[in-house]
Amino acid sequence: MAIIQVDNVTKVFSSNKGKDTTALKNVDLKVEEGEFFVIVGASGCGKTTLINMIAGFEQPTGGTILHHGEPVLGVDPRCGMVFQQYALFPWKTVIENIEFGLKLKGVTFRERRQQVQKYIKMVGLDDFENSYPKQLSGGMKQRVSIARALANNTDVMLMDEPFSALDAMTRQVMQEELMRIYQESSKTIIFITHSIDEALLLSTRLVVMTSRPGRIKKTIINDLPWPRNSSMQLMDRYQQLKSSIWDSVQEEVIKSAGINYQTVD
Amino acid sequence: MNGTSKTAKAEQQTKVIESPGINLKIISLISMIIFFALWESVVRMGFIEPLFLPAPSAIVRRASIMLERNDFSVHILASARRVLVGFGLAALVAIPAGIILGTSRLAKAIFDPLLSFLRPLPSMSWIPLSLLWLGITEWQKYSIVFMGSLAPSILYTVEATRNIDPVLIRAAKNLGASKIQVMKDVVLPGALPSIIAGLKVMMGIAWTCVISAELVAASNGLGFLIMNGKEMFQTDTVLLGMALISITVLITDMVLNRVEKILLPWRDG
Repeated sequence: MAIIQVDNVTKVFSSNKGKDTTALKNVDLKVEEGEFFVIVGASGCGKTTLINMIAGFEQPTGGTILHHGEPVLGVDPRCGMVFQQYALFPWKTVIENIEFGLKLKGVTFRERRQQVQKYIKMVGLDDFENSYPKQLSGGMKQRVSIARALANNTDVMLMDEPFSALDAMTRQVMQEELMRIYQESSKTIIFITHSIDEALLLSTRLVVMTSRPGRIKKTIINDLPWPRNSSMQLMDRYQQLKSSIWDSVQEEVIKSAGINYQTVD
Repeated sequence: MNGTSKTAKAEQQTKVIESPGINLKIISLISMIIFFALWESVVRMGFIEPLFLPAPSAIVRRASIMLERNDFSVHILASARRVLVGFGLAALVAIPAGIILGTSRLAKAIFDPLLSFLRPLPSMSWIPLSLLWLGITEWQKYSIVFMGSLAPSILYTVEATRNIDPVLIRAAKNLGASKIQVMKDVVLPGALPSIIAGLKVMMGIAWTCVISAELVAASNGLGFLIMNGKEMFQTDTVLLGMALISITVLITDMVLNRVEKILLPWRDG
């Protein structure tokens, strides 16, 4: 059974003025256990709406989302979310942020401090346990956020453009670390991005979404060999996959930007 | 050549930027001295009747007499205790109430009309009712402070909960927080900076409440000191009482700033 199944999901946002916007239309997805599933799409294609519905923050207008076969009706604590804006609690130190999920579950102080050590090490924050988020760089904040999701030990990790606010070099380091974490933790990851390179580097399978209303345009099984790193971009297979993704994305970008390339004769 | 003159200019600029902090303090000090000196000399030269406005030296003399008789602490402590109890109780009610009203639309719908009715009432308007219900007692003073600061404190707290980044609430729910845990672990600490800022303003209002209560009916406290001074034609006592109110409120503010630093360690660098 698929761990996450998106079944014919439609999402319509209605404004007060009576104007409806269809963000997603008839989306079908199946994510299997252990996959690194990446959703690629231009901005405004509804990919964030989709991940918010998988997390249970929003409810679909039509269709259902199933987690292990059960419909997701409210916020689903079995899906750990890593937010683009980090969403760290500024009044908590690094370690307090990471252990918060365990604290909510009633795990004792000593036990949760023991459990989170592993994740603090995994994201390389050993020396910053007692710092406040304000004192950290963007990359470090996102590491805390990832460790927080990992420590909560959910079966799925949702990542909504987690690296898009980081500078290019930090982003590359974080991508490589995420690959390492993925291989160490064998979690199911659903990851959203608008970067084709990021999608190809990280995913085991990826889908391309159309511009609004968002639909699945293309599914690609990413058969690039593991372990991966950025030098893989020179491989022929990489180029092939990239151009095939770019072809379908380009069309959507043009559509959503309202550019009209038709020639008049 | 050009280079050196540039650095000299830059140096001069940094000096200008660095110095005003000290200079302005000196200016403030001088202006205060001039103010009191003018006041003193105008009274001494007989332009103003001392019964109308006694000289600063007369107020200082009165202060030393009262210090000898130990009257000072009695009045300050009496007023301070009333503020502490009345305002403490108001804060204890207002913070949880404000958080619930700020997070639950239903609660807001229920209590909004009552709050809108209570809010415009000045604390003075509660004095007749409180005297009728509680007599001239300490609880009557507490109740004035309580009623005067409750509604605005609730509204400050409600406003404070609005400033929380909604993504933090999502993050907490995602980590498995229940509704109550969200209120206790996210809304309360997230709103705390604005709540404390609001309470600092409210503390000033609580002091005006207690002074007005004491002006009307009390046998001690700073408000009583002023009123009693007027009855006995001791204008210096009146002014001394006013100065004491100012100083006490300033000190309370300083204490609260310290408390704020201790409660919110995550806000500094």
